[in-house]
Amino acid sequence: MADRMRKAAIVALGLLWLTPVYLMLANAAKTDEQYGLVSVWQAVGFDGLWQNMLAAWERGRISEGIASTALYSVASPGLAVLVGAAAGFAIVALRLKHGFVWFSVIFSSTVFPIQMVLMPLFIGYVEADLYDTRAGMILIYTAISVPFSAFVMRNFFSGIARHVFEAAVMDGAATWQIFWRIYLPMSGSALVAIFVLQATFIWNDLLLGLTLTQSTETRPVMTALSALQSTYGGSTMPTVLAGGLIVSIPTIALFLIMQRSFTRGLALGQF
Amino acid sequence: MTLTTPAANPVTATAEDAAAVRRRPDTYRWSSRAFALPGLLVVAVMLYLPFLWTAYLSFTEFNGLGDPEWVGLAKYREMFADAGFLGSLGNTLLWVVGTLVLPVGLGLLIAVLAHGIKGSFWYRLPFLLPYAISGVAVGVIWTFILQTGGALSEALTFLHLPGQDLRWLLDAPLNTIVMIVAATWQGAGVNALLFGIGLQSIPKEPIEAARMDGASGWTMFRHVTWPMLAPLTTVVVGLSIVGSLKTFDIIWAMTKGGPGRSSETLALTMYKETFVSNDYGLGAAVAIFLTVITVAASLLYLRRQLSDAKEL
Repeated sequence: MADRMRKAAIVALGLLWLTPVYLMLANAAKTDEQYGLVSVWQAVGFDGLWQNMLAAWERGRISEGIASTALYSVASPGLAVLVGAAAGFAIVALRLKHGFVWFSVIFSSTVFPIQMVLMPLFIGYVEADLYDTRAGMILIYTAISVPFSAFVMRNFFSGIARHVFEAAVMDGAATWQIFWRIYLPMSGSALVAIFVLQATFIWNDLLLGLTLTQSTETRPVMTALSALQSTYGGSTMPTVLAGGLIVSIPTIALFLIMQRSFTRGLALGQF
Repeated sequence: MTLTTPAANPVTATAEDAAAVRRRPDTYRWSSRAFALPGLLVVAVMLYLPFLWTAYLSFTEFNGLGDPEWVGLAKYREMFADAGFLGSLGNTLLWVVGTLVLPVGLGLLIAVLAHGIKGSFWYRLPFLLPYAISGVAVGVIWTFILQTGGALSEALTFLHLPGQDLRWLLDAPLNTIVMIVAATWQGAGVNALLFGIGLQSIPKEPIEAARMDGASGWTMFRHVTWPMLAPLTTVVVGLSIVGSLKTFDIIWAMTKGGPGRSSETLALTMYKETFVSNDYGLGAAVAIFLTVITVAASLLYLRRQLSDAKEL
């Protein structure tokens, strides 16, 4: 009985939680005319969806940021996973001297708000010709992903027995081979979890994109959505919602396909 | 080593491993440094160095051109004398308090409701889904819901509930409160997930013992479950406070801190002073101030995370 009530409560709450998604879909799919006539709560099919998405894609300039954002969301987490795993390997397997201190140095950098580095990064990037470049964006996105990656990988490697390392040494494996051929393959689940989570964060970033880029080739997609939103005098509400839908599809798809990794990453990051 | 390791689980670290760690000579002195270097370097150059630079700039007058001019504490005095900053500070505190009530409270509620239900993962899924959506897209959706005469007003009119005339995004402090609701929609699922893990890891014995003594429902939760959940609650609360202090995207997408500066928080004040007003010194002072309270809040959970990690 109590269980049934709990179940009913959580289903009701879950439906409430999905309501904004429903509203978004229902209205992104309306033609401008339908949007003016029909209540926002009422879905009327998908007449306007394609047209709205096209408008957001082209006039809303969503198309321009997609390629660079995809590049950032793959390259940076990929690099960060390797760099973080190497640091974890150095600390756990190779017993870096004062390893815990260095680990704390890397991990503690997650505490500071990103606002703390924005302005020097902006100035430094202009000086170093990294401002408004894809390389510059990959670099900063990698940097902000490394601490989380190092945290998870260090904890993960701590669970691998010492004799695994020692047996490999006995077999004459070089240090980098032990890292590349043994430790990395053993930690696939953690690597994927970090990758999925960081890729989502980077895809969704606004602030760094806003600060460190300006041209269409480098500017990530969330800046375009933000611009579309604030100037929707020019674009209709269904178009803005369709824009929100387009940029959300990749991360929602990633989440649904990789939900186990996604949740594992969230859990690993806290403990 | 192989002999002392349980055969059933040959790759898991043991206590002997930990002892061996302390006895070992420093064979990998150079290779360990080489492996750690990229991580340390990227963090030092891209994060710590800019931190220090911001700290320096907060004591200067600088507009991005020419050289920063040392002015001591003048920028901090200017900051505290600014009514806009104080309003922004008030909104930031409202975010912190609101975050404790909504995303943390609701996260706990969802976790407790879903706990022990078969397939609880699926019940939690709708709450986790918005976490994959960007802050800007969350802002787009909620602006649409909350705009004057929008979905919420229409629903309230239809249900004959009060509040249909409220201008959700235009009047303070209402605009900040509804943005906290939007942030809750995005973030509560993660807290529910963490609380769910915490509930699962509570040992069965004390629960059974309490049940034998006749405890159930609220009494059980209040006197048995909640105290055992306390360490995890500290982490969730700390992470949530820090997250709320850093919130930028949702506010930027929904109100840009307006109308006027009525819904601005410190995260936005810093951005605006620097990149809109070109007052780098003042922006840096705000950044330092925001960092100090963020670091203070994160001590709540960071100490725990690091000491847990040390034990591994």
